[in-house]
Amino acid sequence: MNARDEQKSAVPEAGPTHKWHHPGRWGAVIIGFLAFTVISATAAVTLQDRIFRRPVEQPIKFNHKLHVEDNQLGCSTCHEYYEKETFSGLPDPDVCAFCHSEKQGDSEEEARLVKMIADGEALEWKSLFRQPPHVFYSHRRHVLVAKLECKTCHGDIASTTAPPTRVTKLRMQDCIDCHHQKNVSTDCTTCHR
Amino acid sequence: MARWSMVIDLDRCTGCQACVVACQVENNVPPAGADQAAAGRTISWMRLAPFQNGEHGTRPDLKLVPIPCMHCDHPPCIKVCPVKATQIGEEGLVAQVYPRCIGCRYCTTACPYTVRQFNWRRPEWPQPMERGLSPDVSVRPRGVVEKCSFCHHRLQRAKDKVSAENRPLREGDYVPACVESCPAEAMVFGDLDDPRSNVTRLSQSPRAFRLLEELGTEPKVIYLSKGEWGGEV
Repeated sequence: MNARDEQKSAVPEAGPTHKWHHPGRWGAVIIGFLAFTVISATAAVTLQDRIFRRPVEQPIKFNHKLHVEDNQLGCSTCHEYYEKETFSGLPDPDVCAFCHSEKQGDSEEEARLVKMIADGEALEWKSLFRQPPHVFYSHRRHVLVAKLECKTCHGDIASTTAPPTRVTKLRMQDCIDCHHQKNVSTDCTTCHR
Repeated sequence: MARWSMVIDLDRCTGCQACVVACQVENNVPPAGADQAAAGRTISWMRLAPFQNGEHGTRPDLKLVPIPCMHCDHPPCIKVCPVKATQIGEEGLVAQVYPRCIGCRYCTTACPYTVRQFNWRRPEWPQPMERGLSPDVSVRPRGVVEKCSFCHHRLQRAKDKVSAENRPLREGDYVPACVESCPAEAMVFGDLDDPRSNVTRLSQSPRAFRLLEELGTEPKVIYLSKGEWGGEV
């Protein structure tokens, strides 16, 4: 018997008696690690906006409720283009200056706006509703042709007293659901070019 | 529902390539540059394929055939796409959804007309051409396949226009850039399901034929020519 054969016979054969039902210490470590990865990944995806994105700050804390509900201004007073173009538009200081070249009420925000207008400062509004950049959406087509109301996509923004601080991301599933409901085209070319 | 189709009269076509240029500009197709062209990586949604048809005196009789996407009724590209990035729409237009495309290039291989092209690099335009890009068409990123769309953004525009004027879509409301640009009026575009349209009338002409008809792809680009045809050069 040479050395190699001796070594061979020394190794016990792994038979059907081998226990697989207990994961052992390393098994527990691996399962724990996997569970940790899955949980933290899920948390990161669901909470990424709150964790990584800073809240959106507008130049003025615009009160939609005061303008739309209490003073009966239409959406097109400030968002001029939604019936004419693909985009809706955000107001220039000139539009605000129609009423706010002088002080109308006694809120601090308004006082700040009046000063900004007087100083000729630009109003850099931030868009709060976002679609993926490759989607070709037309406000005109939805408002004028399909006769949708603004709140169908924009929710109750008209009755908010301060602008939301989070960006709403519009998803394809929302578009598709509505298109199915109203029995309109879900042809890819309608939105993707 | 319309079934959009293009008729190309090869007896009228002079091979001037106005359609090629019009397409390039309309659809934000980037110029390849010398190095990419040398590597055979130019992108052109509309190309002119040279065919030889016997001899003309001492010279070969060459004919240039404009080849856009055929928008087949049974497109082989759709069957091979693993991510459904290319689909045929309700009006028979074969669409390419770029954000879905994973760049596997199965479709470029499956297409018997070889009209699908891959973006080997990030598109670049020499200054100041970038400012002249069309806002109606996306700029394709690196790593996706693209092809002729029959300018379907023009269909959307036409639909918007007719809905504003409160009338149905008429022939000539929707015409791709290549058809519009053809100085020889060799190209006609319209609805193949409309029995009174020009394309329907021309498709029934004895001169009408389609490329690789025997494959059963049912292409919606119809060619017109009197003569016999030789092979591609």
